[in-house]
Amino acid sequence: MQQTRDARTYRVGDELPAVTETLTQEKIDRYADASGDHNPLHIDAAYAATTQFGGTIAHGMLVLAYLSEMMTASFGASWAGSGALKVRFRGAARPGDTVTAAGRVIKIDGEKMVCEVECRNQNGEVLISGEASVRVS
Amino acid sequence: MTVNLADLPKGHEFAETRFELTPEWAAEYRAAVEDQTNAPADLPPLALAAFSIRALLHQGALPEGAIHVSQELNFLNRGEMGGSAVARARVASRGERQGWVLMGIELAIEDEDGKSMMSGRATITFPAEGRTQEVGA
Repeated sequence: MQQTRDARTYRVGDELPAVTETLTQEKIDRYADASGDHNPLHIDAAYAATTQFGGTIAHGMLVLAYLSEMMTASFGASWAGSGALKVRFRGAARPGDTVTAAGRVIKIDGEKMVCEVECRNQNGEVLISGEASVRVS
Repeated sequence: MTVNLADLPKGHEFAETRFELTPEWAAEYRAAVEDQTNAPADLPPLALAAFSIRALLHQGALPEGAIHVSQELNFLNRGEMGGSAVARARVASRGERQGWVLMGIELAIEDEDGKSMMSGRATITFPAEGRTQEVGA
């Protein structure tokens, strides 16, 4: 997926192109290897079953990567060169969940575009929410 | 030497870590997060954050039950594939409430010329009397 639209044409209220991914344990394991984060909560089903989550959950940074992908698709290289993100992790994403990253432009201040962003699962539960901003010239 | 993050006081500075931004690692990261927005020659911006967290996990094991609460990231300059980078991190805040520790860890990454590439802050929480996990986050 490449940048879908000239970022300068976004207006307040416009929705960003959503990114949807379905999580599997295999994907979580792959992220654990790539990130070096082998917390058993993410990769050890027997251990994770003893925790408050009752099973493995995805790394927060993996789910956040879907949000970053959405920002890259919306703003291209500007995101990598001038993006800022401030989010809270509000819920756990589990294997089998379908995660949708979505966003909406809420403010434009000169070249700076501020977006409300979030990730939700297939039940509409919020996994991540916060703000992202980027300079678009 | 790996220490338990639970034992670290406010102000603790982690050892500086230098790493190479190799195409192989970038490809592994991109495959793990299924990000198709970046060209093979580009480094996904969140990969830098994953790199710094990976470096951090080599130095500090997370306490059992640790939860990633929030994340702030500022992408300041795009990473150059094939270059190297230096990650620094420190415990910026630490507080305890109702049996849970809330810890803020500041992250900064510079390129080999000392130019800032990314800064950020991760907030984690864990039980004040938690046990140590032998493996990462």
